[in-house]
Amino acid sequence: MLRHALHRLVLAVPVMFGVLLIGFLLMQVVPTDPATVRAGPSATPDVIAEIRADLGLDEPLYVQFSLYVWRLMHGDLGASIINNVPVSQELGATIGPTLELMFASLFWSIPLGILLGTLAGYWRGTLIDRFIMALSVGGVSVPVFFLGLVLIWFVGFQWQWLPFTGRGGPLWTMDGIRSIILPAVTLGGVFVGPVARMTRTAVLDVLSADHVRTARAKGLTETLVVRRHALRNAMVPVITLIGLQIGFLLGGAVVTETVFSWPGVGRLAVGAILSSDFPMAQGTIIVLSMGFIVVNLIVDVLYAALDPRVRAA
Amino acid sequence: MTDLLTIAGLRTVFRTHGGEIAAVDGVDLSVPRGRTLGIVGESGCGKSVLSLSVMRLVAHPGRVATGSVTLDGRDLLKLSNADMRDVRGSQVAMIFQEPMTSLNPVHTVGFQITEAMRAHDTHASKAELKNRAIEALKRVRIPAPERRFDEYPHQLSGGMRQRVMIAMALACSPKLLIADEPTTALDVTVQAQILDLLRDLQQETGMSIILITHDLGVVAEMADDVAVMYAGRVVERGAAGAVFADPMHPYTLGLLGSVPRLDEERETLLAIEGSVPPPFALPKGCRFHPRCPFAVDACKSEQPPLRMLADGHQAACIRAPVEAFVA
Repeated sequence: MLRHALHRLVLAVPVMFGVLLIGFLLMQVVPTDPATVRAGPSATPDVIAEIRADLGLDEPLYVQFSLYVWRLMHGDLGASIINNVPVSQELGATIGPTLELMFASLFWSIPLGILLGTLAGYWRGTLIDRFIMALSVGGVSVPVFFLGLVLIWFVGFQWQWLPFTGRGGPLWTMDGIRSIILPAVTLGGVFVGPVARMTRTAVLDVLSADHVRTARAKGLTETLVVRRHALRNAMVPVITLIGLQIGFLLGGAVVTETVFSWPGVGRLAVGAILSSDFPMAQGTIIVLSMGFIVVNLIVDVLYAALDPRVRAA
Repeated sequence: MTDLLTIAGLRTVFRTHGGEIAAVDGVDLSVPRGRTLGIVGESGCGKSVLSLSVMRLVAHPGRVATGSVTLDGRDLLKLSNADMRDVRGSQVAMIFQEPMTSLNPVHTVGFQITEAMRAHDTHASKAELKNRAIEALKRVRIPAPERRFDEYPHQLSGGMRQRVMIAMALACSPKLLIADEPTTALDVTVQAQILDLLRDLQQETGMSIILITHDLGVVAEMADDVAVMYAGRVVERGAAGAVFADPMHPYTLGLLGSVPRLDEERETLLAIEGSVPPPFALPKGCRFHPRCPFAVDACKSEQPPLRMLADGHQAACIRAPVEAFVA
C-alpha cells in the first residue's frame, strides 16, 4: 500500500515538470509583452528595453525556462509585475480560502451524489430513478456562473438570507460559515449530477453481479447487501470519476470565486491573467495543477484501499 | 421417509415486451431428507430459474406466479420477506456455477464466511465466529485455513474458491443445499474432488442436496433421484438407477445417447436434432415433438402430463416407454 503510494508520487514528478513547461510556453504565446505592461503606457522604448533586460526576457527561451525552474526549486516564484508583491505571498494568502471552498463544496455534494445515485440504481426504472436522473441532467446542464447568479439574486439579494460577497471569516466562525454557503452550494451543485449518474451506473452494474446474488442467498438484509456488496464495489469507478471531475471543479472554482468575490487562487488567477501579470498567473497555474496532481494521488491510494486486486498489482 | 422439500405446480414467469413467458411451467418435485435430487437439462431449460425460485431470488422482471415450495411443512412462497431471509443461508443454502465471480472481490474470505454466520446468529462474538469460520474452512479441506481466512478471493484458485463457497453455504448447517452447476467451471480433477467433498459432507450432516447440472456423468455419480427438464417442464423423473438404465422419455433417451462411453464403440455420438425452443416460441402440444423421432399427430395437440410408468418412475410422453421403438 505504502509502496503503491510512493510509486505514484514518483510518477507525479514528470507530470509536474510538464505542467511547468506548458504553463511557461503558454505565457510565451500570449501576444502581450510583460516588459511593456510593467513599464506602463507612457514608457519610452529605452525604458522597455531596460526592463526587458532586467526581467531576463531577452535571453533565449531555454535559458529563461531553466532560470525559472531553478528559482522555483528554491521557492522563488518571482514577483508580480504590477505591484512587485512576491507571488508566493499572494498564493499563501489565497490558497486557504480556496481549500475551504473546495472542502465545503465536496463535503455535501459527494455524499449527496452517491446517495442519489444509489437510490436511482437500486430503484431502476421507477419514478424515483427518473426523478433523480432528471435532476442530475438539470444539474449538469446549468453553468456554474448561472447557478451562482441565480442564488445571488434570490437568496442573497431579494430575500437577503445569506451574504454573497467575500469571505466572512475562517470556517469555524459563524460569519465564515454563512458566507461560504452560497459559493459552496454553487460549486458543489455542478458536482452532484455527475457523481449521481456514475454511482447509478456502477451500482446497477454491481447489483447484477454474481456475488450480490451470493450475498442475498446468505440471508443478508437488503441494506447490508447494498452497503457491503454493491456500494463498496461500486465506489472504485465512482472514486475515479470524482478524481477526474476535481479538475473541472478547479475550473469551476475560478468562476465561482469570481462571481462571489471569494478571495481564493481562482480569483487571483483571473485577475492576474486580465492584467497580464505573468509571474502571478504562472504561480496560480502551478498551484491549481498541483492540487489536481495531489487529488489524483489520493484517488490512487483510495483505489488500492478499496480494491485488494489493485494492491497486489 | 418424509420429504424435506416439495415443489408443486411451480410456475415462474418473466415479463417481456411480448407478454409474460414462463421459464418454469408447472413443475412438481420432491426431495427426501438426506438424499440428492439431480436436475438435468440443456441450457435454458429452466433449471437455474427453478432453483432461484425455491430461494425466492428470481430477479426482476421475473416472479413466481403460482405453485408452492414447502420446506418442512412451511410454504416458502407465503413467508414474509424477513422470514424468507431467515430461511436463506440457515435452512436452504446455495452454491453457484462461477466460483470466480460468486465471491465478492473486495472482502476477505473470512469476512464473507463470518458474515453468513452473523446473519443468522447475532449473539456470537467476533473471536467465536472466526473460530467457526476456520473450522468451516477445515471441513471443506482447505489447507492452512488460518492463513486463508485473511486472504481475498483473487488469491485463491477456482477449486479453492468453490470450497470457500461450500464452506460459506454450510456455515449455518442448512437442511437443503442447492448446487447450481457447482463443477461446470472447474477442471475435471477438481470437479471430482468437489463432488467427493459434497458427498462426504452430506453423509456427515444428513442434509439434502438439489444438484443442478447438464452433466449426466455428475448426476449418475451423485444423485439418488433424477428429474429431467425440458423447456420449463419436468419430462421424466425417477430413481437415478432406473432413469439411466431404463429411460422412458425420448428426450432422456437422446440425452443419454449423446454421452460418450468407454464401453461402447461408436463412430459418432447421437445428437438430438434442432435446439431447445425459446420460451416465447413454444410449440403446441408436447414441447419436444418437433425434435422427437417418435412423434405422432397426437403429440402436436396435447401437452402430456407426467404418467407413472413403473414404480416411482414417471415420464411425460404419450408414446412412453419408447425403448421398444429403438430396438
